[in-house]
Amino acid sequence: MNTASLVVLVSLLIIVGGLALAIRPRGVSTLDFYLAGQRVGVATNASAICGDYFSAASFLGVAAAVYVSGLDGVWYATGFAAGFVPVLLFVATPLRRFGEFSIPDFLGRRLASDRVRLVAVGVVQLIILSYLVPQAVGSGITWQLLVGQGVGGLSPYVTGVIISTAAITGLVAFGGMRGTTWTQAVQFLLLLAALVWLAIAVLGSGFDYGTAVADLAAEPLVNPVNVDGQWELATTPNRLEAESPASFGEPGARYGGLGQFALIITLVMGTAGLPHVMNRYFTSPTGTAARMTTVWVLGLAGLFYALAVMLGTAARALIPTAVDEHPWLTELTVDGVLRVPEHALPVLGRIYGGEAGLGLVATGALIAVMSTIAGLLLASAASWGHDVYERHINPQATQRQAVWAGRAAVVVVSFASAGLALGLRPESLTALLPSIVATMVTWAFALAGSALTPVFILAIWWRRTTAAGAVAGMVVGALAAVAMFVAGAVIGDRGLGEMLMTPTIVAAPLAAAVTVLVSRRTQVPADLELLWLKMHGTAADRHAMRLARLTIAGVDRQRKDRGTGDARR
Amino acid sequence: MNGDADEHDTPAEVDATVRTLRRVAVGYFVVFLVAIGGVPGLTLVLDWWSQGRLIGGMSPSFVMAAFGLYVFFFVIGLAAATLSTAVESRMLGGPDEDPTEAAEHQ
Repeated sequence: MNTASLVVLVSLLIIVGGLALAIRPRGVSTLDFYLAGQRVGVATNASAICGDYFSAASFLGVAAAVYVSGLDGVWYATGFAAGFVPVLLFVATPLRRFGEFSIPDFLGRRLASDRVRLVAVGVVQLIILSYLVPQAVGSGITWQLLVGQGVGGLSPYVTGVIISTAAITGLVAFGGMRGTTWTQAVQFLLLLAALVWLAIAVLGSGFDYGTAVADLAAEPLVNPVNVDGQWELATTPNRLEAESPASFGEPGARYGGLGQFALIITLVMGTAGLPHVMNRYFTSPTGTAARMTTVWVLGLAGLFYALAVMLGTAARALIPTAVDEHPWLTELTVDGVLRVPEHALPVLGRIYGGEAGLGLVATGALIAVMSTIAGLLLASAASWGHDVYERHINPQATQRQAVWAGRAAVVVVSFASAGLALGLRPESLTALLPSIVATMVTWAFALAGSALTPVFILAIWWRRTTAAGAVAGMVVGALAAVAMFVAGAVIGDRGLGEMLMTPTIVAAPLAAAVTVLVSRRTQVPADLELLWLKMHGTAADRHAMRLARLTIAGVDRQRKDRGTGDARR
Repeated sequence: MNGDADEHDTPAEVDATVRTLRRVAVGYFVVFLVAIGGVPGLTLVLDWWSQGRLIGGMSPSFVMAAFGLYVFFFVIGLAAATLSTAVESRMLGGPDEDPTEAAEHQ
């Protein structure tokens, strides 16, 4: 990376950091620190949710998956985008109307049980760690690939993990949800701008999407493999039709018949159980605003993933023809095909924008990692600081003490994840897993979709859900998901193994069935009627809207009076 | 944020609304599942779906996965949100007259 790309990277990171400091919460209330005062508007919250949700797996991973597997890679984009439809239909509005600070807090209050809250804290922390560690690994890999130099004698990978973790920990600890909301919104807009710029540059150069897909589909799909230290191209086998090679435009390069469905269901069900994304809904002013926020997210996610899929295809079609003109591509490719598919977007950025273009895409990748880490740290802070410290360790805590407990949780969790990321040493795992970042993120989705989403949806829509049922459902869902992962890792990712590695299609119905069976044999909370009114009634929304209208009318009247006074003078 | 004395819902109203909203949500979810299961599912049973040419050189399957499903998600989301909001405003809280507008009429 040269001076131009470094200047772009540092400038954009300074803008984001400055913004977080400028709008950090001035008070010391937990409502402000965790929920940004519950006054985040629809467009801002939708952008912040996208910043939270679109991690390195979305920015570099989707284009890479399309690059290496063609249509089978597109299922990642489909599953990531589709996840917000169940969120809109079943979760967003009642979750916001019920209020609280976090998923464990919501389940604990709804089911009137501290045991539910503590079990949910355990599941949430497991999900957060599964999601946080690959983000830290991603930041190390990005630094390693794009900066290539360490600081103070450390390796580039270790430097990347430490610098990004320290920077984002500082921003979250002092910016809280208010600062994080705006930085995530700005981060998403920068991420989208990087994709839009790249798409315009590619299309402007004469790239024809339809023709490119047809041309790529006309030949067997080939990818580089390392045989005895030598790179060579090998035809990708077709998992649907063993006798023919895989094709870019048809399924079969990555998944068999069952694997496609298992992956999509895992990603679809997982989104509704992701704590860092669901916590953002508590920041909406009303339930209706939370619902409309999700509609915006669906639109923005569709645009983002459609561009990522197109750019993955463009990289596959254009890079082979660019090798002659750009000699630096020789060491990254084997006969025009990238050795590391995650290089697809950075390479396109460098082809069309030189070093500054590479800097922009590199910044996008680091921003994607950092904004997701920020959301995960805040969710973890809310869970430890509010659900454990305030509820169980020090119920008489002042607001200041509670906020500092949250900040301490941010620091501890971020350093724990950085430590795990450093211990993982991805270079030793790349031989075992095709992409450790994408694999671990999918695990987090599987755990969330298996253990939390079924219980969450039942607690919202089925009155008979009980605390004992929820605990049993979460435990069975989590254990089933973990057991299936382990079995899948032993069997391998072919045939039944595809489904075991993405287990939600089995574990979620199992968790739901256990929740229903146990709930039918146990007692519902005593004040169920009040809880139901709070979660599904619109009185609080109407009250908030009435206050807002009165405030606006008051401001208008003041302006009118002032105007009349000026005219008289 | 709690509703004050002049903004409240009765348990019967809320129960009826929940039943209606649940039907709406489940109905849209079934349509959604058919779509996201159908796009990869058709490739297993219909050759034309993955080998035919629809836009440029793209197969119907590629067109749906690369663009069509995202448009579908947005449209189904917007329709479900609009219907759910309309159900709530019709079934809960009664006519909601703006007090400032009422004052202007007097």
